[in-house]
Amino acid sequence: MIVYLNKEELMTLPDTGVADGVACEWEGEEVVHLHARPPRHAYGKVSPCRFIRGGTGELPPAGFCVRYEREGDGVKATAFLDGKELPLNFIPSRSELFSRSKGILEVGALAQKRVMIVGLGSFGGQIAVELAKAGVGAFALLDFDRMELHNLSRHICSVQDLGRLKTDAVADAILGKNPYAEVERFPVDINREPVLLDRETARADLVICATDNNTSRFNLTNALLRRAKPCLYGRAVTRAEGGDVFRYRPGGPCYNCLIGNGWFESRDEEITDEASARRSGRIAAYVSPEDASAMVQVGLSADIEPICNLMVKLALVELSRGLDTGLAQLEDELVYDYYMWANRRERRHANWAPFPNAAAKPTILRWYGARIARNDGCAVCGGHAELDTGDEIESRLGDMGDTSGINLDEVAGQGG
Amino acid sequence: MMTDDRYQLELGVLSRKLSPNLYRFFDLDTDEPYVVFGARTNRGNVYTLRIELDDFPESIPKVFVTRMLKDKRGHDLDSCSATMHTLTSENGRTRICHFGFDSWHPEVSIYKVFIKSRLWLEMYEQHLRTGKDIDYYLNHQD
Repeated sequence: MIVYLNKEELMTLPDTGVADGVACEWEGEEVVHLHARPPRHAYGKVSPCRFIRGGTGELPPAGFCVRYEREGDGVKATAFLDGKELPLNFIPSRSELFSRSKGILEVGALAQKRVMIVGLGSFGGQIAVELAKAGVGAFALLDFDRMELHNLSRHICSVQDLGRLKTDAVADAILGKNPYAEVERFPVDINREPVLLDRETARADLVICATDNNTSRFNLTNALLRRAKPCLYGRAVTRAEGGDVFRYRPGGPCYNCLIGNGWFESRDEEITDEASARRSGRIAAYVSPEDASAMVQVGLSADIEPICNLMVKLALVELSRGLDTGLAQLEDELVYDYYMWANRRERRHANWAPFPNAAAKPTILRWYGARIARNDGCAVCGGHAELDTGDEIESRLGDMGDTSGINLDEVAGQGG
Repeated sequence: MMTDDRYQLELGVLSRKLSPNLYRFFDLDTDEPYVVFGARTNRGNVYTLRIELDDFPESIPKVFVTRMLKDKRGHDLDSCSATMHTLTSENGRTRICHFGFDSWHPEVSIYKVFIKSRLWLEMYEQHLRTGKDIDYYLNHQD
């Protein structure tokens, strides 16, 4: 039998003689994990496991048992089943967990970083787990949705998570990779919770915006500007034929500066979920169920992976900025505000060159970066904000006659 | 939620475009602020428009005509209609569909929302005269 024990859990047990834990056994596989503290969600066949401190206490005649003794900063332990000793393996300690990343990442520094992820769909979930694997120590997860059947094909979570809040399911996925991570869950609509959004933005070292609509991006952008925090926005375009990533850094162009820029086309955004798209207004209320169903065009998981991957790398560069790591050279290379990717030569990418012999022409499966100028007239971040006053509409109305309104006192009684 | 700075910007635009007695803001210090405009169409008919600002300018504001309008056949304009550019009414008020989701951005001023709604009113009156749907006169936005 293969037995694993979390040694750091033993260090947290009280100094009493006996404690009750659990054994989670993968039935039929001869594998068991012993926990001094029951996990939040137990797995496999769960049975009691007694933890006995010191070498003198009597072993129970049946079932799992661990005898342990603290030794300085460490602990010595032996496991038993039905009184017979079992070979014991230890779940890596916090310091051992990411030891293989040393030299590339500054693991100790990342453990002190906090990342806020807004939107836990196929992008947000994937990025959360990748950052957990890299050793990021704390997460704030914001999403009010639950895992549904249509999410499964691209999402990091699985069938057993159906119906769960995405904040809970993704938190477990993070803890599965880094049991020492601090994960706070906020199953809220950020558009309705400006105070919470502002507070959590202030606490974060980096924000990941992986939502599927501009309203939430605009609300988040306001919080980022107020709190001077960096953020990565990512999305796929229709049927994930491609995608893009926008990096906001305090003082640089904001998401609203990107809108209307020649590089960016907000209309092409992928619609992955009819209910969500109707809620946000992306699918107009008068669109029939049949037409709405046709508008939901979801790309492959393999098509969004490259976009998630770049976001993770940009995130690690942002979180490691100024540290002496193997990622430092990327600071001089990932210098763009906006990155574009195409999976297929369709629609807006139809006139891109075929992959073979594309040479310097834009083609599929390559990243292209662009610097975006900060718009001084931006209504969100600009120093001299200018509003869109609809001159084209005004002239159209002017052609028809008067553009003015009427004194409200003349229409009193018609209600407000 | 509209900031004080944004409110001042909006007032600046409105004061350039309209006389101050044509519009009035309400409940600005609450979660449900709104502004009311008086609108007179080219044929001289009078309407009031209510623009709700609870998540403005981050999202498209709801625009209502402050009474229930009827179409050429006498039916209430109270439901979602692609051809008439309306959304589900609330509190007995016809709701105008005035902006496409993907066209919206936070630089759009309240004044622009107002004149787009004014344009809708003109097209509504054309509909009453000709029987043609508003969609005949107004293009859809994405």
